[in-house]
Amino acid sequence: MSTFISSRTVLLLAVILIVSFGLVACAPEEAEPEEPEEPEEEPEDPEEPEEPEEPEEPLEVVFAQGADAGTLLAMAYIDMTTHSVIQNIYDPLITRDPDDMSYAPSLAERWENIDDTTWEFELRDDVTFHNGAPLTAENIKFTMDYILDPENDMDYRGRYETVEEVEILDDYTFRIHTDGPMPILMYRLTSFYPLEPGYLEEVGHDEAAIHPIGTGPMRFVSWDHEERIVLERNEDYWRGEVEVDKLIFRPVPEFSTRVAGLLTGEVDIIRDVPGHMVDEVNASDIAEVRGIPSSRINYIALVNLHDGPMQSREVRQAMNYAVDVEELIEHVLDGHANQMAGALSELNVHHNPDLQPYPYDPDRAIELIREAGYEPDELELVLDSPTGRYPMDEEVALAISDQLGEIGIDVEVRINEWGHHLDIIMERETGDMFLLGWGPALEAQGTIESLMTTGRTYTGFGDPELDAMVEEAVDVVDPDEQMEVWHEIEEFVFEEAPWIFLWQQYDMYGVSSDLDWTPRADEVTSVWFMGRN
Amino acid sequence: MQRYILIRLSQLFVVVFLALTVVFFMQFLAGCPAALHLPLDATEEDIRHMRQRLGLDDPLPVQYFRFIGRAVQGDFGDSLRHPGAAMPIVFSRVPATAQLAFVGLVVSLGVAIPVGVVSAAKRHSIFDRVGIVLTVLGQAIPGFWLGLMAMLLFSVQLGLLPTGGRGEWQHFILPTITLTAFYAARFARLSRSTMLDVLGADYIRTARAKGLSERKVHYKHALRNASISILTLMGLQMAQMLGGAVVTETIFYWPGLGRLMMQSLLNRDFSVVFAGVFFIAVVTAVMNLLVDLAYAWADPRVRYD
Repeated sequence: MSTFISSRTVLLLAVILIVSFGLVACAPEEAEPEEPEEPEEEPEDPEEPEEPEEPEEPLEVVFAQGADAGTLLAMAYIDMTTHSVIQNIYDPLITRDPDDMSYAPSLAERWENIDDTTWEFELRDDVTFHNGAPLTAENIKFTMDYILDPENDMDYRGRYETVEEVEILDDYTFRIHTDGPMPILMYRLTSFYPLEPGYLEEVGHDEAAIHPIGTGPMRFVSWDHEERIVLERNEDYWRGEVEVDKLIFRPVPEFSTRVAGLLTGEVDIIRDVPGHMVDEVNASDIAEVRGIPSSRINYIALVNLHDGPMQSREVRQAMNYAVDVEELIEHVLDGHANQMAGALSELNVHHNPDLQPYPYDPDRAIELIREAGYEPDELELVLDSPTGRYPMDEEVALAISDQLGEIGIDVEVRINEWGHHLDIIMERETGDMFLLGWGPALEAQGTIESLMTTGRTYTGFGDPELDAMVEEAVDVVDPDEQMEVWHEIEEFVFEEAPWIFLWQQYDMYGVSSDLDWTPRADEVTSVWFMGRN
Repeated sequence: MQRYILIRLSQLFVVVFLALTVVFFMQFLAGCPAALHLPLDATEEDIRHMRQRLGLDDPLPVQYFRFIGRAVQGDFGDSLRHPGAAMPIVFSRVPATAQLAFVGLVVSLGVAIPVGVVSAAKRHSIFDRVGIVLTVLGQAIPGFWLGLMAMLLFSVQLGLLPTGGRGEWQHFILPTITLTAFYAARFARLSRSTMLDVLGADYIRTARAKGLSERKVHYKHALRNASISILTLMGLQMAQMLGGAVVTETIFYWPGLGRLMMQSLLNRDFSVVFAGVFFIAVVTAVMNLLVDLAYAWADPRVRYD
């Protein structure tokens, strides 16, 4: 027995292991740039004793996201991870000022609202696509027609359905005509990315989706699906020199792995650092968490689309009085959110500054519930919540259930898989309340019309008076008048309380300490705004 | 033998057909993909348009026969989440999964068989007892926990290995440790128990009586007979591993089939799910056939005439 593990056995095992790792070595390897050989001796030059400047290392930024991009053809697919890549390959027609989120020039230098249904734009004359083709008004017309053609199945089609046509006035001037007033057009155009017709027609839709051409700060290099997307600096970028040499997107589905990658320096930017890991990241020398109040909002919809106590405005108001939003922000979200007064956050251009949040007042809540003809301990409510979709969503739902329990309301929390959660909202099969988030929410129409008016896909609320008010408001083009009508609607919404108004969430980015970059509220992650620290 | 193989291959078609049929009808339990592939401001018309495009408004028999008609041509439609057709997307993930499966299997067997054989030969020894504890631990420790702990230790604390991805040999180490812990434990337990059975057989006593060395008894006589059970498990495990190691692939962002299937299910990207199920069903059936054929090699009494 003593000779049982013989040298032959050990040898056999070693061979098995060597063969297996030998096979591994056959895996495709990443091409590594050869390091330049260092000169053996420093050249002596007694007349000029200054030290030779060391060439700076190329700046390579690795952005780890939860998933891979769905396509690289702009506007074909609505998805945040896809959009992060798109906005580096393409440029929008207009953009936003990072400080106050007002509209700012991008590819379009100037614009004018001619009348309720006509907008005129003037393009820059120095923009070229990555294949050298110039950007002209033709591109805008082609792109709009391409989006609106149902054959092309572009996700953004619904956003431009009111557009009648793009009229070309000269090489760089064009007009957009709409079927009716479309004040939301400017907002939509912040994510309108001109396409290159010559290239698209030459290679076709499917090929352009995997080998894209745009006008953006980075050129496409390669896409190994589910592994990495590599972009390199566009040397002829119209805005000037881009500081980032290479931008790599890596899909890393597990958040713990993303954080680990950030802490080992393999990754330079990650999104959605969980609150409980903020201190850990900040304690490292290598990275830090940079949070910014986002335009994304979270709310609890109080569903009046089926029978139940939420038919009563008093009960809906009572829910707002009974939930201590400040406490939730402090203890569940570690302070990483801003309480909302009404349906729109402070970042929303139509935000009504006169509104103040509902105070936490459980006595007033009980009073209102009794006014509605109920006793608090008679109320048995169901709250639907997704899990892992929004910051601490499941925990927030459970905490709200506890807070409502304090005044005697019995709340059953149902935690749903995301797809199922959307299904039951769409099919109007939720309980009395559901948790949802929305964003980027930078103007009123997108939020209030989509989420509170009768018949909309993901609404939880219906009120003929509100429907009529919104229908009128969406046709108002004059900015001052527009502001006035939306403020009035916000006051109405505040009183009707179709939601428990929660908060605007913080976007928590983990960023390498070597990278000079400030996250933006509109979720723009273009390398144009990045540099070396 | 040829007749046997032909019969088994015809059974393969039935298995694949049944698997696809079950999955086709299961999709309706998951819900409509439109909700997940359209933005929250999508109108009812947008959803109707998407349902029409996906053919979800057609009567169920029409949908089913259209699906089967395309499936026999290997066409499962286009993915909703990735550019292109579903089948090529599935095939593109196979090399990554096969590499990991192969390395995982070889390392698992390389560790497990000697451990199982020695444990059986030295029953109740300290080696055996430690082996039993380790194999139970290997099967009991969840893969996601072990993977994350290994990553924290070797990548974050020691800085020795990358946290994930694929490309160089270093990328294999952490996923292989995670996979091996589980599979090696299973193989080792099975090797030990089958070896114990075999070592009690009469022919082993005869072999010893003939004066053969212990090494020859164990490796030439006992292990060959015990290998039938190990082969069975190996075949099933290989098929399972080729279906993708969901947890390992997710933690270490390994671009394999398991991760693709998981994401496609969550995204309700059913074209990719169908193509993946088709591939996995074929691989499983073929692996089972190969295992059955391997029995004849391992045990001369087995004949398929």
